Amino acid sequence: MTAVTSKNGGAGRPPGEDLLVETRGLTKRYGGRITAVDSLDLAVRRGEVYGFLGPNGAGKTTTLRMLLGLIRPSSGKARVLGEKPGSPEGLSRVGALVESPAFYPYLSGKDNLRVMARYAGVPWWRVDEALMEVELGGRAKDKFRKYSLGMKQRLGVAAALLKDPELLILDEPTNGLDPKGMADMRALIRQLGHGNRTVLLSSHLLGEVEQICDRVGVVRKGKLVAEGTVSELRGREGLLVRASPLEEALYIAARLAGVEEATVVDGALRLIVDPERAAEINGKLVSAGISVSELRPAEQSLEEVFLELTGRETI
Amino acid sequence: MGASFSAEFLKLRKRPSTWVLALVWLALIVLLGYILTYATFASIPEDAAPPGMDPDAFLQTLYPENVLSNVLAGFSSAGGGPVALILGALAVGSEYSWGTLKTVLTQRPSRSRVLLGKVFALGLVLVGLVVLAFVAGATASYVVSRLEGVAADWPSAGEILRALAVGSLISAVWTALGAFLAALFRGTPLAIGLGMVYALLLEGVVGTVLVSNEDYDPYRKFLVAENANSLINYFGSAAPEGLGPPDSIVEPTRAVLVLCAYAVFFVVLAVLLLRRRDVT
Ligand SMILES: Nc1ncnc2c1ncn2[C@@H]1O[C@H](COP(=O)(O)OP(=O)(O)O)[C@@H](O)[C@H]1O
Ligand SMILES: [Mg+2]
Repeated sequence: MTAVTSKNGGAGRPPGEDLLVETRGLTKRYGGRITAVDSLDLAVRRGEVYGFLGPNGAGKTTTLRMLLGLIRPSSGKARVLGEKPGSPEGLSRVGALVESPAFYPYLSGKDNLRVMARYAGVPWWRVDEALMEVELGGRAKDKFRKYSLGMKQRLGVAAALLKDPELLILDEPTNGLDPKGMADMRALIRQLGHGNRTVLLSSHLLGEVEQICDRVGVVRKGKLVAEGTVSELRGREGLLVRASPLEEALYIAARLAGVEEATVVDGALRLIVDPERAAEINGKLVSAGISVSELRPAEQSLEEVFLELTGRETI
Repeated sequence: MGASFSAEFLKLRKRPSTWVLALVWLALIVLLGYILTYATFASIPEDAAPPGMDPDAFLQTLYPENVLSNVLAGFSSAGGGPVALILGALAVGSEYSWGTLKTVLTQRPSRSRVLLGKVFALGLVLVGLVVLAFVAGATASYVVSRLEGVAADWPSAGEILRALAVGSLISAVWTALGAFLAALFRGTPLAIGLGMVYALLLEGVVGTVLVSNEDYDPYRKFLVAENANSLINYFGSAAPEGLGPPDSIVEPTRAVLVLCAYAVFFVVLAVLLLRRRDVT
């Protein structure tokens, strides 16, 4: 049994909601064997900073590439800003940085952006604005190949900002940065996500998503295993009960009203239930002849949730 | 398309390898087409020449009146093909090696537009290179005419324009081949390697084999070099008897059509490859 069940991202969504990214059964297979993305249903709402969280190899990049029309899905559907992925109409309102930033090494940062601005069909003065936004103005004339990784990443974000896009897709933009670079990049993303802009940020770092994102989708082996706000994901509040006999306590507690889930963890009872009801539950257990030696609120750490969702196999 | 063209042109203009290729190309034209011949034959006293060889006949090929055929000869043999091929292979292949294709494609343009913008920008660069090649050849031939004390007798403007067109067409085929191979192999090294094998080895060896038997003529007519030579020969070979390129079996008009068809064919293949494949 999995301790945390999936918050279903696909069902129960109010109709007419403004979804900037919507996928249905999106699947990508490589060869016969590898299923990089497996029937993924993803929904990113207007204005939110959405964290696409999963360990390495989970299929994040593959998904984002499909959303941008770089690779074709094996099956399933995707809509980005209401358009087919990769269509010029859709792309004109999306900015993206997928995997490591790739630019022409022999051109300066500024010339690289001039090239990209021409491809994007945006006026030349957007180049300077974008450079300012990522605070790269001072080194704009240096060749790209001379840039540090942090500067390369920022140039990648600048290129994504050229179109002043409604939707910003960033694929692990802090990868490989030192702590200071990471902090700067996160601050930048938070700032970019202010206002109307929607950000789809992929990451394998829980803390990062926790810091930046409004809502999180957790992906594992190509499948979306949970979706919700950070506090929703974490908010599996409950009680920890030490009682004996344990088996009997489990049997009774699992049948009490309001208890969503009851499991045995490390010789104690773990209940997913409103902690306010501690006294009531204590009473019910005691009156059933069970001795309760400890009863306290227990919150699952997000770390724990994440590990359970993405890696640790539970019985 | 215009946006894609101007983006590509900016890249080509600022790319050092474009200028290196241009310099190599001009150096080859001047070195192989003029300096070597001149150094060899200008110093030979008339009576010391090997029997059947008239140094003056060789020197004459270097005079201004023969500049078009002398420079064009370099388009099929001396470096012209490979240089154009490398230019095309680099322009397409580097987008894969640097991973910039994804950056470009996520900006907005469709894949066909990216490639066609490249093709037109490359075309413009090629015309520039061809003009430079003729300017270099003309300069060298003028110097020779002064050294030899003969009057400079230049070809007509119409002929010059036609030679520019022929030179551009021949290089365009090689550039398109390079671009196609780079799209096929999603990178530069293999495209340049195999392109060279084709340009230098296959065309040459197959051409020599096919030339030996008239039965093979229908096949020979499809070789790029054969068609190119047909157009080059059109400007007359200034080379002494028996030393110029072999007479071509292809009509010039047909050669123009075949070469255009090759260029278009390679570009279309490259577009199809780029459109169909995942960019990973
Ligand atoms: N071009 C490809 N060919 C084969 N397998 C691939 C290819 N790209 C990705 N994969 C596989 O798909 C899975 C998901 O990869 P990816 O989307 O890059 O994960 P993430 O970005 O979450 O780290 C991995 O197992 C990876 O090995
Ligand atoms: Mg990835």
